[in-house]
Amino acid sequence: MFSKKRSIDELLQEWRYDEELKQSIVHWQTLEGRPAQYAPFPEQLHPSIEKALQSRGIEQLYTHQRDAFDHALNGQSFTAVTPTASGKSYCYHLPVLQKVLEDSSSRALYLFPTKALAQDQKSDLNNLIEAMDEEILSYTYDGDTAPAIRQKIRKAGHIVITNPDMLHSGILPHHTKWVSLFENLKYIVIDELHTYKGVFGSHVAHVIRRLKRICAFYGSDPIFICTSATIKNPKELAEKLTNTKHELISKSGAPVGKKTFIFYNPPIVHPTFGVRRSAILEVRDLATRLFEAGIQSIVFAKSRVRVEMLVTYLKGLTKNKIKDESIRGYRGGYLPTERREIEKGLRDGEIQIVVSTNALELGVDIGQLQACIMTGYPGNIASAWQQAGRAGRRQDSALIIYVAASTALDQYVVNNPMYLLGSSPEEALINPENILILMDHLKCAAFELPFSMTETYGEFEVQELLAYLEEEGILVKTSSNWYWMSERFPAHDISLRSAAQENVVIVDQTIPAATKVIGEMDTYSAMTLLHEEAIYLHQGTQFQVEKLDWEEKKAYVREVDVDYFTDANLAVELKVMSEDLTKPYKSCQVSYGDVSLLAIPTIFKKIKFSTHENIGSGPIHLPPHEMHTNATWLTFDLPENWSEEMLTDSLTGVAYAMQSFVPLFIQCDRSDLSIVPQVKAVHNKKPTLFIYDSYPGGIGLSEKVYDIIDPLLRHTYNHVYSCPCQHGCPSCIGAQDLSSQGKEQVLKILTILMNESM
Amino acid sequence: MSYENKILQMKKLLGKKKEVKEETKPKYQKPSQPIYVKNWEDAGLTLIENDFGVLFKREVRYPLDFKHGKVYLRSFFHAVDMWHNSNIDHPFSIDSNERVIFFDTETTGLKGVGTYIFLIGLLEFCDKEFVLTQYVLADPSNEAAFLFESKFWKQQATIVTYNGKSFDWPQLETRWTMNQNVLPKLKQMRQIDLLHSTKRLWKNNLERMKLTLVEEEKLGFKRIGDIPGHLAPIIYLDAVKSGNAQSLMKVLYHNEWDLLSLVTLYSISTNLLLEDEIQDSAITHTNIGKWYGDLKYEEKAQNVLYNVTDNFNDHEAGNAYFLLAFQQKRKSFYKEAAISFEKSLLTIEPPQKLKALEQLAMLYEHQFKDFQNALEYTQKGLALLENHYFLKEQQKVKAKEKWYKRYNRIEKKLSTLLNVTVD
Repeated sequence: MFSKKRSIDELLQEWRYDEELKQSIVHWQTLEGRPAQYAPFPEQLHPSIEKALQSRGIEQLYTHQRDAFDHALNGQSFTAVTPTASGKSYCYHLPVLQKVLEDSSSRALYLFPTKALAQDQKSDLNNLIEAMDEEILSYTYDGDTAPAIRQKIRKAGHIVITNPDMLHSGILPHHTKWVSLFENLKYIVIDELHTYKGVFGSHVAHVIRRLKRICAFYGSDPIFICTSATIKNPKELAEKLTNTKHELISKSGAPVGKKTFIFYNPPIVHPTFGVRRSAILEVRDLATRLFEAGIQSIVFAKSRVRVEMLVTYLKGLTKNKIKDESIRGYRGGYLPTERREIEKGLRDGEIQIVVSTNALELGVDIGQLQACIMTGYPGNIASAWQQAGRAGRRQDSALIIYVAASTALDQYVVNNPMYLLGSSPEEALINPENILILMDHLKCAAFELPFSMTETYGEFEVQELLAYLEEEGILVKTSSNWYWMSERFPAHDISLRSAAQENVVIVDQTIPAATKVIGEMDTYSAMTLLHEEAIYLHQGTQFQVEKLDWEEKKAYVREVDVDYFTDANLAVELKVMSEDLTKPYKSCQVSYGDVSLLAIPTIFKKIKFSTHENIGSGPIHLPPHEMHTNATWLTFDLPENWSEEMLTDSLTGVAYAMQSFVPLFIQCDRSDLSIVPQVKAVHNKKPTLFIYDSYPGGIGLSEKVYDIIDPLLRHTYNHVYSCPCQHGCPSCIGAQDLSSQGKEQVLKILTILMNESM
Repeated sequence: MSYENKILQMKKLLGKKKEVKEETKPKYQKPSQPIYVKNWEDAGLTLIENDFGVLFKREVRYPLDFKHGKVYLRSFFHAVDMWHNSNIDHPFSIDSNERVIFFDTETTGLKGVGTYIFLIGLLEFCDKEFVLTQYVLADPSNEAAFLFESKFWKQQATIVTYNGKSFDWPQLETRWTMNQNVLPKLKQMRQIDLLHSTKRLWKNNLERMKLTLVEEEKLGFKRIGDIPGHLAPIIYLDAVKSGNAQSLMKVLYHNEWDLLSLVTLYSISTNLLLEDEIQDSAITHTNIGKWYGDLKYEEKAQNVLYNVTDNFNDHEAGNAYFLLAFQQKRKSFYKEAAISFEKSLLTIEPPQKLKALEQLAMLYEHQFKDFQNALEYTQKGLALLENHYFLKEQQKVKAKEKWYKRYNRIEKKLSTLLNVTVD
């Protein structure tokens, strides 16, 4: 095949005159670069640090790095908001190293959301220390740490690098082995702050409260240093996470290269139905153009399945070359060695295109690439910028292409580029008050140190909760204290990462004599992705699930070669348990409270790869999943002369449209919040639309929805109303029959729900 | 789901801290006694009080001619004498000047700082008799009193345990750290862990190294009415929650037996190590020989191994021959080494067998220049590699590569030799 290497600028020059592309490019915008802003080295800066920086060619600091140093030396906890590749790690390395050099008994704890990031930072930090020529010991401490050196790390490690999970179950419950760390802990560094949101963030908030409690026991009062990607509320998040006041450093002094954004909307192939060409196929074509131009690129896709589909398509480009690894997939569920290998391939340039889920949004060190394609809107502005930040080498031009899928939100974004380019990103929410999460960690805290009769926990009064735990036989009360009195090791029963405590292990039995584990998945996702007969994709290879052992949490798969993928349905029933808030609207009632949910996977469909047509289906037999959570719900009366069937269809359309717009207001994973219509709700027999947190006990998202319900409904109405389709399409209320009055009816319902007249 | 439901009800109870109260750290306040003191005293425990609070104690004295299982307690002194006369600096030897404490604990769980030690059992020789002292944690708030009473902050001693090196002592250190603001520092002690010696002595002889099994097989002691150790935590938790200490006493008896067995186990083990006569199986004595070898007491090791080959048939003595062969080879007694390796081939396990064949091939090739035999042993080695699965696939490939190299080299030497002879 004819191909020729080109630079981004050359390629863009060509594209400007490409008739085919022109039709689909909705918007084209170049953001000019910005020069660096510097500040001199602080006077106190230790000569060894200065020497090390100079050996790396650094003669002065970026302004944000200097601000960070000054705050830290003033004993002030702070949060620095910094874009990708802005030298953010110096924000914490410099004050920490300075402290250790001034007093070698000092200790620091670094927290990274994943083991992979911790590994990266360790090698980076060790290089710096080597250049300083000083005796400073830094180690990663996680599940992979060899038992032989654990003792040394506990006693002598100046800087211990770990992740929240290890802190939770491997360090805090054994704090007596870490006396020298806890007695001398000066800094706690939390990198990638923005990842601590939702359920995970709420859990970590408690791990940190436990950590602080233990520090207090040993007489230390460490300073927190957080770094975050751009989100709306970094300071609030940091303060809520650490229960400590923070200063905010929001201005970055790092230089920014020129970035060109292309907003790309796939052409309409079926005008009546408003059906556009599949975004995945468009991305395949665009990525092919980049590949042929020799531009190292990253392609983001929203789900594991899409990543695997794209890898399968793109590998077609190299199928004639033997052992060619220049196109790879990357996502959660791959084994660590495989991931390390891919990261290295990207840094070395051996891999030219990587297709990834948001796993690579984080600070995993893969160097900087030249171009980035987003397959669909990643759900929030913060993520979009994180993904875009992967492209752009120093002063070079970077290309970012956003390819819209047909969903409502995607279409909204592609048609309103300024929403992405001009507005501030979303809030990251955590809810340490979630009583289930709080109780879990209260147990761990009681295990770690007894509670006195007057003691509080973080910002919480917990004496009555402790009394409850005593009733449950887990604590005993003496004249002065509450003590842990159980054989159990509570941290082991609590996973920070998911609602479901267990993961399903995926076993490949293609070769019966050599079965091997190829990945794992949380139980909730497994219900719809690993049911029997499901097609599971791993590195572009298709596997069929032959047996799902739900008791043992094992899915047995075998390699297959078929031309379809599977998609499963989940039926949900909701019951209201208590109504905490309520407000009457013009013609409906909005409420917030506790609900109980029953989810049952029902059937799955087989969908053909190239055409995406439905070519078969089958039942799923799995036990229902029960959960208690929070929800906001809207109740109204059945409009006159409406049949139940009409209502069902239009409520489904309303839910479809609304669900798309929730991420405009709240930063959460799409799966964190669900919208489910009930034609006759169990509690009041009326049509009701539930918007609930997908985590037991809730994480504060649906409560937020209660507050923003007006703008949410207005946004949804406007979008559906102004959608160019006739009867409703995937971009507004989902695909509809030709004869249907769907769109009209959805608008009717939305008018009923809104508190204002349109 | 009922748990979640209950918890969700608790939401109402969750309060937010009103304001930050500056609390000055109070001095140590002596905790009050638990309400069940009387009950526990009735069960047979004695309440004692110190500066840090209260704890319970039980004491039992044993005369030196007390017999536990088949062994007298006094045999311990014989063991110490034997070490004294042996001139061997063995990790398990005890000097007559040392203060020795046999030590065993019972805990409320297996790991972590939320696990308490609730029973410290000490057995030591004191004024012509052995004295067992058991301290029982009155409740967790009286933990400092309980730990303080152990006197581990005060006197230096040698601590003899069963799995104490990785369990009991680290647990004690953990508890001590939790009370470090109050207690004097814990002393560093010499540790003798009899689990380790038991493993060395009876590897491949005892199926498991559980103390009760060792008692039955080696110490001639069978427990009657013992509670299984894993129930101890639940029993203590129940005693604290219900105030009833009836079952708790059974945990104390259990601990008492553990300690008595430590004394006799030490004596029996020492005897095995130092007496020349055969007292146990061929495997055990072979283990002893190997241990001396690893400790670099090679002469002693050889004596022990010769003792095995002299007293047992070749079938039982396979491993002894195998180990002996290496000793002989190191001393350049190649002929003897080859004979020993050959004898060992009868019974040793495939992994050792592969090593023996390799050694034989080497001896015949390099020392005896007997290429015919060297080739035969190499063939046997290759056959063994082919038919066994003790190596992982990758190791197997590597090993084969090595063996084929040897095979080709010897074959070449052999053909050169034949050619020379023909010429």
